[in-house]
Amino acid sequence: MSATAMAQTEKASTVKTTFSRQTKVSIEIKADAGIVWQLLTKASDYPRWNTTITSIEGNIALGETIKLKSTLDAKRTFKLKIKEFEPEKKLVWGDGQGTRVFTIAKKENGNLLFTMTEKIGGLMFPMYAKMIPPFDDAFDQFANDLKKESEKMMSAR
Amino acid sequence: MSITVEAFNQEFENNIAQLKSFLLRITASVADAEDIAQDTYLKAVEKISTFRGDSSLKTWFFTIASNLAKNNLRAQKRWTENVTDITKAAALSNSNFFEEAMNIRATSPQGEFEAKEHIAFCFTCISKSLPLEQQLCIFLKEVYEFKVSEITTILDTTEAMVKYYLHTGRGKMMNIFEGRCALINKQGVCHQCSELNGIFNPKQNTQHELMKIDLVKEADKGDKEHLFELRMQILRELNPFKSKAAALQLHHLEHNRQVMEKYTS
Repeated sequence: MSATAMAQTEKASTVKTTFSRQTKVSIEIKADAGIVWQLLTKASDYPRWNTTITSIEGNIALGETIKLKSTLDAKRTFKLKIKEFEPEKKLVWGDGQGTRVFTIAKKENGNLLFTMTEKIGGLMFPMYAKMIPPFDDAFDQFANDLKKESEKMMSAR
Repeated sequence: MSITVEAFNQEFENNIAQLKSFLLRITASVADAEDIAQDTYLKAVEKISTFRGDSSLKTWFFTIASNLAKNNLRAQKRWTENVTDITKAAALSNSNFFEEAMNIRATSPQGEFEAKEHIAFCFTCISKSLPLEQQLCIFLKEVYEFKVSEITTILDTTEAMVKYYLHTGRGKMMNIFEGRCALINKQGVCHQCSELNGIFNPKQNTQHELMKIDLVKEADKGDKEHLFELRMQILRELNPFKSKAAALQLHHLEHNRQVMEKYTS
């Protein structure tokens, strides 16, 4: 059995070190990878289904830059570059401070395992670490929203 | 797969009404709908040797028609959600519009005004604010009753994409009507069905007429999904070329298309 197939749903958790912080969440989704991929890559559609994101401007495509606003820090706009774009498998975006990785893997039971991790850090990290709010709740919410919307779409007649 | 010319022509004949109705609702143009329907037949004849019978002939005709429609400029043209506001303002400032409409109402055998027809017409106009793929999926699934697996063939896409387009398209249309349509929401800003019924059927009690329509009767229950389904039922039951109100609605559609082409150019 592969490592991917053994991976399980995990509530969001965060691992902190002096110079970095990494938050991870995993959730099992009963849907086609194409549907999950569409939801993750249609920028303008995010606010409709994702309660943690208020807007994304731009195209989610390799090399493009997007402007993201989230409920975590409503006043701030994050300018993020799309660093990896592997349809139905992996999406990575980030800026100088952090990188978010989304992966979609097929489980042996036919369902999907969606995993989202974000690592922020660097040499200056200790100076601003306390100003960054915890991500755990927002990660759980993101994963649950994605599961709910994907499964709802999948059940369409 | 071998098929006789007679059987092929008969099958095309059996589907031509639905095909033209579909094309009209996608292009909003009578002339383009008729042209594409004719081109669909010619293309089907030309390619008949490639038809393997993996799908029904009806699915195959719709596949050809959808491909042609996707290349049609009027089908590609996207309108705005508030199309009825824009076209109403244009109609009110154009004395010819009502003069022509009243003439059709008085002289054409297909010149009646029916609210149900207008509801279908209104859906056609507003659906042009969706991305084309979503609009195609909604009509193919909800109005022409193709299965998701058949739509993947017609639009040459995956089941995931069809489900995505259907879900997002339905959601958008439900929200637009929830916000705009006074038939289902007392705060809705658009009253055109009632207003036009008052103009074209002055002797009727408009409210009484509207209450004969299931969509209106069940509006108070507030179930958006159910109301959307009732709206789709109206479109399924109507042939926009053949009904008693066809001439009036096609005149109205031609007007809206011309206005929106200028507005969105």
